[in-house]
Amino acid sequence: MRAIPLALLILLALLLAPLGLSRYATEILTQGFILALFASAFNLVFHALGLLSFGHAAFFGAGAYTAALLAARAGWPYLATLPLAVLASATLALVLGFFSVRTSRIYFTMLTLAFAQLVWAVVHKWYGFTGGDNGITGLEVGVLADPRWLYYLALSLLGVGLGLLWLVERAPLGYALRATRDNEARAEAIGLSPFWLRLTGFVLSGAIAGAAGFLQAAWQRSAFPDFLYWTKSAEAIIAAILGGSGHLLGPGLGALAFIELGAFVQARTEYWPMVLGLVLLFLVLFLPRGLAGLLGGRGARG
Amino acid sequence: MNLDLGFLLQQFLTGLATASTLFLLAVGLSLIFGALGIVNFAHGSFYMLGAYLLYWAVRGNPEGLWWGLVEVAAIGLTLGALVERALLRPVYPRPEHHQILLTYALLLVIEDGVKLLFGAAYKSLGPPQALAHPVWIAGAPFPAYYLVQILLAALVAVLLWLFLKRTRMGLWIRAITQDRAMLEALGVPVPRLLTAVFALGIALAALGGGVTLPMQTVSPGAAVEAVINAFIVVVVGGLGSIWGSLLGAFLIGEIQAFGVMLWPEFSIAFVYLLMAGVLLIRPWGLLGRPPALRT
Repeated sequence: MRAIPLALLILLALLLAPLGLSRYATEILTQGFILALFASAFNLVFHALGLLSFGHAAFFGAGAYTAALLAARAGWPYLATLPLAVLASATLALVLGFFSVRTSRIYFTMLTLAFAQLVWAVVHKWYGFTGGDNGITGLEVGVLADPRWLYYLALSLLGVGLGLLWLVERAPLGYALRATRDNEARAEAIGLSPFWLRLTGFVLSGAIAGAAGFLQAAWQRSAFPDFLYWTKSAEAIIAAILGGSGHLLGPGLGALAFIELGAFVQARTEYWPMVLGLVLLFLVLFLPRGLAGLLGGRGARG
Repeated sequence: MNLDLGFLLQQFLTGLATASTLFLLAVGLSLIFGALGIVNFAHGSFYMLGAYLLYWAVRGNPEGLWWGLVEVAAIGLTLGALVERALLRPVYPRPEHHQILLTYALLLVIEDGVKLLFGAAYKSLGPPQALAHPVWIAGAPFPAYYLVQILLAALVAVLLWLFLKRTRMGLWIRAITQDRAMLEALGVPVPRLLTAVFALGIALAALGGGVTLPMQTVSPGAAVEAVINAFIVVVVGGLGSIWGSLLGAFLIGEIQAFGVMLWPEFSIAFVYLLMAGVLLIRPWGLLGRPPALRT
């Protein structure tokens, strides 16, 4: 159990970090935690359900917009919107998941993509309610306007999210999900219900993604339709695959690397997407074993 | 609302013009998925690149359009072949998400590459002099260029159909979507065939992008939108089916044209609704084959 002292040391460092870091560095780290939470949520569906969702931006965006709308239009204190933001995302995941989890493989990917883009199209154009492509800006986020408070909230929510995912992995639910993923017919034969299991996993994943969206709106003090666009879903996918979808902490580490590398490159050149693209190309082409290793030692999952 | 025949015809033709570029954009994605089994997230990037290549090829002179389109298609063909050989071939045996990651990486590189080469500003080019005026159809004006665009897409559809139906390579391409192992056993040079299919698909996408430039501006951001449109078309029509792409493009084009009349804000939403609906009711698309019959 040499891992425990190391984990405590890292936790201590994370807790003390904002005291020593600049405002900018704290904010970047916070952004890393937010993407880490989002990517970990995505990974529940990707790894445990074995389904590649291209629609998680919808749940991320639902959390962000619920919080932003309640704070900006109904005058709620920002922090108080968290439960409803999570609930809204979970509800959206329930509705979209009800239809999506019946399908599999490329059809699941395309259906989640279609649903998320549908939500995006509505948010993008509904000027009267969501502000359309102007988004909702200038949010009053109370104490979260202090980067340190936001940092600790993001870290705590990431901790809670990872804790939940860890519990799911260990719980009968996790075993049942993986059994369904690996052999649906057998899972059904021993009395499991693949549909309800997948829907449960999908809703849980959507709810956690919603919490990440809530944090993102606080971080930017705004909510924009971009939060719901398909490229946002792609960020979670990249982070999860690069960090390693087979490990509980993999997607989070991938997300932190993604954000930190992004901040580093963006401080030097405006061509960050080019750099990211080349890094991805290199990793996929030349380090397949490295990638598989990063993927969690269980090798490639089909 | 003005609902006379001329106006409806005008909307219908506008829808057809949209459909014609959607078809050129999407049919290659469909062919590539059918033959290579790869979901090409960079497909819209080659479409966007096609528009920039045309802009570069004609050097600001709209009269150079036709020769420029030939150049764009030729560059697309070459580029497609190179990308398939160098980047895609190594990832065929890998899991799906590696392939998606690779084509997504390509999307990022092309988007920024275009920014690097042409700048981030919108680029535009007018239609050639002979087509720069409206034609009057049933008393309503309609851009002459759109008619040419529609005819061009129809010509490509017919040529593609003849190619797939009447040539040996076309036969192989149709066969490879059914049973690749059998094709290999029969001595067909499958790797070269895959290169050809990808190159063809990319050339069509680039051509589609080039064709739109005289009527639409282009910017590096056009790629992420285009690839989603291509997905909608092939999902609605059926992955791997050419007639499906044609039908999908037609439906999406017309829904956009008439959706704008009925409910301008949410005409894009209708399109996604159709995509989701088709996936729920006929996941393999309107003209696609159910997977059970494919094996």
